[in-house]
Amino acid sequence: MLSRNIRLLSRRYSQAVTFRTTESSPTQQNENQVGLFYTMNNDVCKQLFAHGGLPKSFMKQTKTFTETALMVRLPALDIIDCIKVTDLNKPVVRYVLYGEKGAGKSLTLAHLLHFAHEDGFLIVHIPWVSDWLRRLPRDKEMSNSQSREGFVDIPLDAAAWLLHFKMQNQVLLKTGDLKTSKEYVWSKRESTPAGAPLAELVEHGIARVKYACDVIDVLLKEIKLLSNAKKCKTFVAIDGFNSFFYPLTRLSTPTKKKVAPEEVSLTAPFMEITKNDWTNGAIVVTTDQLAVPEDRQENYLPKYLLYQKGFEHLDPFVPMEIGRYTEREFLSCASYYRDRLWLRGPPELESELKLASACNPYNFMELCAPL
Amino acid sequence: MNSIRYKLSGVTCSVLQAANFRPAYIQCRLYSGPTSFPDFFKNPIFRKEEQAKLIEINELSKLAISPVKPPGVSETSSVYYDPLVNKLINHVMKMGKKQLARELVEKAFENVKRIQIERYHLASSAEAKAKIILNPKDILHQAIENCRPLLQLLPIKRGGIVYQVPAPITEKRSLFLAIKWLLDATNDKERTIHFPQQFAWELLDAANNTGKVVKRKQDLHRQCEANRAYAHYRWQ
Amino acid sequence: MSVFIRHYNPGSVYNAKIWRFASTTAETPKLTNGEDDEEFRVLDILKKRDKLQRRAPRKADVPPDRAEKMRTDQKWGDVWPGPKSFHPSSVPLPIRQGYVPKGQAPPGKKANAELMKIPNFLHLTPPVIKSQCEAIKKFCTEWPKLLNSEEAIEKHYPLEIITSDYCHASPVIRNPLSRIVILRIKLSDLKLDKHARDKFLRLVGDRYDGQTDLVTITADRCPVRRQNLDYVNYLLTACYHESWNYEDWEGDKTLQDMEYYDFDMNQSKRNLVNWHLLCLNEENNFSDEEIKLYDVASIPNATEYIESVSSLFNDGESDATLKKYDTSVRKLLGLPDKKIVT
Repeated sequence: MLSRNIRLLSRRYSQAVTFRTTESSPTQQNENQVGLFYTMNNDVCKQLFAHGGLPKSFMKQTKTFTETALMVRLPALDIIDCIKVTDLNKPVVRYVLYGEKGAGKSLTLAHLLHFAHEDGFLIVHIPWVSDWLRRLPRDKEMSNSQSREGFVDIPLDAAAWLLHFKMQNQVLLKTGDLKTSKEYVWSKRESTPAGAPLAELVEHGIARVKYACDVIDVLLKEIKLLSNAKKCKTFVAIDGFNSFFYPLTRLSTPTKKKVAPEEVSLTAPFMEITKNDWTNGAIVVTTDQLAVPEDRQENYLPKYLLYQKGFEHLDPFVPMEIGRYTEREFLSCASYYRDRLWLRGPPELESELKLASACNPYNFMELCAPL
Repeated sequence: MNSIRYKLSGVTCSVLQAANFRPAYIQCRLYSGPTSFPDFFKNPIFRKEEQAKLIEINELSKLAISPVKPPGVSETSSVYYDPLVNKLINHVMKMGKKQLARELVEKAFENVKRIQIERYHLASSAEAKAKIILNPKDILHQAIENCRPLLQLLPIKRGGIVYQVPAPITEKRSLFLAIKWLLDATNDKERTIHFPQQFAWELLDAANNTGKVVKRKQDLHRQCEANRAYAHYRWQ
Repeated sequence: MSVFIRHYNPGSVYNAKIWRFASTTAETPKLTNGEDDEEFRVLDILKKRDKLQRRAPRKADVPPDRAEKMRTDQKWGDVWPGPKSFHPSSVPLPIRQGYVPKGQAPPGKKANAELMKIPNFLHLTPPVIKSQCEAIKKFCTEWPKLLNSEEAIEKHYPLEIITSDYCHASPVIRNPLSRIVILRIKLSDLKLDKHARDKFLRLVGDRYDGQTDLVTITADRCPVRRQNLDYVNYLLTACYHESWNYEDWEGDKTLQDMEYYDFDMNQSKRNLVNWHLLCLNEENNFSDEEIKLYDVASIPNATEYIESVSSLFNDGESDATLKKYDTSVRKLLGLPDKKIVT
């Protein structure tokens, strides 16, 4: 039994060289580290992903493996390079991540978020759009919007997002001099004066859930102005963007009439911020088959998922395909799983698993689960 | 016992028993799945090791010419083939929903693995870490071994009264009882807890020689011990 | 003694029966099977075997087949001059046809109903056909020399009419499927301008095959072939002339009805122009018309971008078109090229 432990230790040592990398800062990673895993700091993880951002299955894995490790892959490195090279005086460049189910789009987005955080960007991140438009727990509150006629509000989700935003940008909100440009009056007694810090705006939205959607609207407009004025650089990351363009949502007005995404008050601010009429930032968006109902899930290519409207909104964008694992990545992932005690067995197994999962990352993880 | 195995013509019993990594009682089938094939069709040999053995004794060429039944869907030559797991999945299956049964069993194994890995990371010393079994299939084997009864009670009627008489048990029957008791204990669960979760807990308890199923087996043994006076009722 | 005959059985000799009943000594040698007279004589009421013996059929003297005497170098056209049902003795072929019972050979040609039922073409062997063709030739004209290749035929005779004749076993000689008429023509052989071509394709719909450029019109709604032929010709002329007509309501065609993607008319152009102007920090007060007429050549790398967007819409989305779009957008926005796995 003791010899087994020694075997495990020695295996870990010999394989530590092949699948891990100690370079845990995305700004410093380059092509030498493609296919290798880097570990994220737990504090950073909590700050960035406390309210979502990493897929649920991945969160379970982090608990079992007792660490958050992401694989460095080519698409992420590509976008990081492009962002580093772009001239920030030009209008923002939009990147669209697409790929089959389980290819790794959300995790690539997480990698990019880490990079943005390190590089000092102000992060605007929606973990999963369909949570707002298509998930309906029993206590979902949908009220008629007060500032806009005929629009539907989702106050609780908006407040949750404001919390998320606050958590991700703690540092910048405290130190940076990000101030509002004009005064906003919410009601007879509440108003935010001009020149107030953005943090105050966010606090107000969290405290007064009724105005949360309007607060988000105002907040994003301010962020746009601030970016144009070079006060901060913004990184917008949206997962499941094509959900905004599907003709129907599962929400309904209090009079039980179905709404389209255009009638939800939360869509408008995010549509505004994904336009390319501002400078000093970057926008990364993913289109996912899982964001729409099953009868529209035939194809994973972006133009099909975004429909005509979405394509026109985002055009011109840089499409980035997230593919399946290559040979090297697959072997590295398999050795990582062995190291973390998730996979065991003889090495012939790898060829079997490669064929059975077709090198799709999610399928590979699912297949290794009972083994 | 040996007489049952001779349906596989040409392949002797000793060859089967030499496969020592899994018990021979499971391999001993009289037919592989529902038979729409006539009796002279032979059972398939789908494991690479067994094929290699046949090649050594030059029997494989003879088998290749004779008609052979096709193997079932879950009879693979994969490294992870385990006939006990297949049997378990079949027992879990209801209404022919094999896919659902397989998913439930696989999720149960995943849960077992996660719990064991957690315990592994919490264990402080190297000896404690070495004692923890991480492979869910090993846990399953251990659990089944611990749950198998050694005797069974047969109802025998003598003089108008039905006595519960302790009697020997075949391997097959004891395996069946072990799996049945495990599944009974699992299905006795709360509404909000899912089957894989409960099954994982039951497996871990049984592997540890604690829990409901092992208690049931021990109760049976105690009852057998108590009723040993009636043992002679098996013969009259 | 008299016996009342209740059941009349034609062909039997009743007097003999009555006589048999009465006598006790009428035993044939076969029935006793060599038994002694002292043994008890078994009364044989039915006496079937006797009757069978008497009814032995008389074999007729049949002369040998004509087919046995035929020479191998005879002229078959003289033996079988016209359509005739199969006559086994006249056909010197060992044909077998019909249901094959288990363990036996298929039934032979003698007294074979299957062979006699079906129509045979023994009167149309190749030498006979050849002589018929020779006889008809003096009424035919020559095939035109210049129509010696497929292209020449297609050039001079672009219209194809396809009809089918059927040979079938049925009480009626006419087959309802023979009324179907198919007309095939290549779209490039019709004189159509852009609008006419689009309208023609919408009128014709599914009947056009993009890969072979053929319009196939099928007619089977009339009972007679000639009527269907007229109908098919009518359809072609009607579609052709209608497609050249321009109706008033055709001016209401919206962007979504367009069958191809025109970059200038679409939102993508506006996006491009807006982006370009933002880059240059210029004022953007263009209206829709002006954007359509904006000269794109001034924007660097724009032509490639326009091409890739048009191909994305016109050729459908696929990996190849997306890759092209990717490279063109990167060039347009000034980003480095995509990294490839090394």
